[in-house]
Amino acid sequence: MTDSKPLTGGGLLFKVLEQHGVNHVFGYPGGAIMPIYDALVDSNVQHFLCRHEQGASFSAVGYARASGKVGVCMATSGPGATNLITGLADALADSIPVVAITGQVPTAAMGSDAFQEIDIFGLSLACTKHSFQVNHVDELEKVLHQAFEIALEGRQGPVLVDIPKDVQMASVSPTFKATSHLKNKVKLPLADISKALDLLTHAKQPILYVGGGVGMANAIDEVRAFAKETGMPSVSTLKGLGALDTNDKNYLGMLGMHGTKAANLAVHDCDLLIAVGARFDDRVTGKLDQFAPDAKVIHFDIDTAEINKRRVADAPILGDLKENLPLLTMPLNIENWQAKIQQMNNDFAWRYDHPGEGIYAPAVLKEISDLMPNNTCVTTDVGQHQMWAAQHMNFDEPNNFLTSGSMGTMGFGLPAAIGAQISRPHDTIITVSGDGSIMMNVQELATIKRYQIPVKIVLIDNAKLGMVRQWQDLFFDGRLSETDLADNPDFCMLAKSFDIATKQITKKCEVTAAINDMLDHDGPYLLHVKIDAKDNVWPLVPPNSANNEMMESA
Amino acid sequence: MNTLTMNNYTLIIMVDDKQVVLERILQVTRYRGFLINGITAKVNTGNNVATIELFVSSDRPISLLIDQINKLVDIKSVKVDNKASQLSKAKECSA
Repeated sequence: MTDSKPLTGGGLLFKVLEQHGVNHVFGYPGGAIMPIYDALVDSNVQHFLCRHEQGASFSAVGYARASGKVGVCMATSGPGATNLITGLADALADSIPVVAITGQVPTAAMGSDAFQEIDIFGLSLACTKHSFQVNHVDELEKVLHQAFEIALEGRQGPVLVDIPKDVQMASVSPTFKATSHLKNKVKLPLADISKALDLLTHAKQPILYVGGGVGMANAIDEVRAFAKETGMPSVSTLKGLGALDTNDKNYLGMLGMHGTKAANLAVHDCDLLIAVGARFDDRVTGKLDQFAPDAKVIHFDIDTAEINKRRVADAPILGDLKENLPLLTMPLNIENWQAKIQQMNNDFAWRYDHPGEGIYAPAVLKEISDLMPNNTCVTTDVGQHQMWAAQHMNFDEPNNFLTSGSMGTMGFGLPAAIGAQISRPHDTIITVSGDGSIMMNVQELATIKRYQIPVKIVLIDNAKLGMVRQWQDLFFDGRLSETDLADNPDFCMLAKSFDIATKQITKKCEVTAAINDMLDHDGPYLLHVKIDAKDNVWPLVPPNSANNEMMESA
Repeated sequence: MNTLTMNNYTLIIMVDDKQVVLERILQVTRYRGFLINGITAKVNTGNNVATIELFVSSDRPISLLIDQINKLVDIKSVKVDNKASQLSKAKECSA
């Protein structure tokens, strides 16, 4: 670009977004961001008006996770900015590259408790990877480039740029030079693999433990090659689902609190655990000192701070997974261990022969998984339906399963699906939600209507906050507290009011036809699936228990 | 009353003199489970580099805090001043 005519700060923002390949942003206008929304009119960036700033931030997260690009969201000062925070916290916890732009009151009014003034810069410290406040328009171009660079560099994450209104209006002559500005990048040492090689060659019962870092490192091919070449049994975290080949007979599925019995028993018995882009999260480990108690650990990660944070690594390997994992890829002689793994996989396979005429949610999700087109992207909310989706649906890539893993944010699924659909207009996007979760960002049905976004919504409805109800039944003596949602709205009428096609099913015999109707429908669709309020997610590792002490029934 | 083994550490942190860098360090220190016992900070206006001496205590390994502070964008270096740090000093607390 050679155009160096003066721009406003708002105009410069969109020029820089275009430089970074941003075609779509999600946001909501307001007083302190009006100059930016004025400049939007003349830009080539397409804006999607969400109906709550939290929806905008989750759509940016979904956009980023489905596409691998940076998601961008915008909001005004004060409540607009604070409404972004949950989405930013979610992006930080799950390491998602997002750039959030907030309007701020004019610099002269800052610190005076002005109308819609909040110190979003201060609030951002705990929920972003980094943040900026631009106090002069001359800083704006450099800051915006830095924001994109920081969001994508190393362990990815959200960056907030707070821009006062007078800075948005001021005139500036842009340079259009996108040079690297990060002076203090962490230098990682060259990987020392000798210890890891020694552990690997002596292991008799190794397990490959795959996390969300694999997808973010674009190392899916390397991980699958490692699993295939070594023949090593493998397990996945919630965020790692899709990284491994689900047809591999040595793949055991998800581990942890709601992991498969085979995965948890195998990890408990292993003598070597190779953690790849995973961080020994508490929902994975259960009681930490009894997690893989006899195993040595090889830990691959890009983030120095994850090494030895919760489990000491006997052989830490920092750096780029794509470069480092092939260094350990070799055939292993572990036939006895493989035979035991395959036997467990067979013995503890999921069963779908649920008694009665009522609908069994795991069977519905399994059938959707079997029927959905290739490269379908599934998002979820948080709760029982989320765990059933993780257990019973198969994904061929991590960016085809978007779920709020670390933060566990109800309200994530619908706006994330909107973002995913905008980034991948030709793929089927399904959001699996619950009757509690969907109400958390239900206003985004209006966004679906406005842009005719063909998201398919599978609403698993037990008229309860099901996961909390399950825990109250199991661990609080059945004392149910504020988990009954019997007064839910009529979800089909709600969908119709947003011109969304819909159907309710209550019996097993209706499931297959309803799924096909939904998948065949051209536009947005809500499939309302009524299930038994007492269905639980099994297995379940109780709190403060080892993973081999899982419960399989009440 | 629990008795935790609290260790005292002195960190020497070199930073680019950027907006809220001190707040960022204090936030990370608190969140990661370290008590702040004292702090000195001075900016070299010639090169816009600030040197921060941070006196902290915790029952957690200091490497956890060093790794987290190192991740902050404006940090140039973090070191433990071994001479000033006191390990294994028992302290009662009411956690």
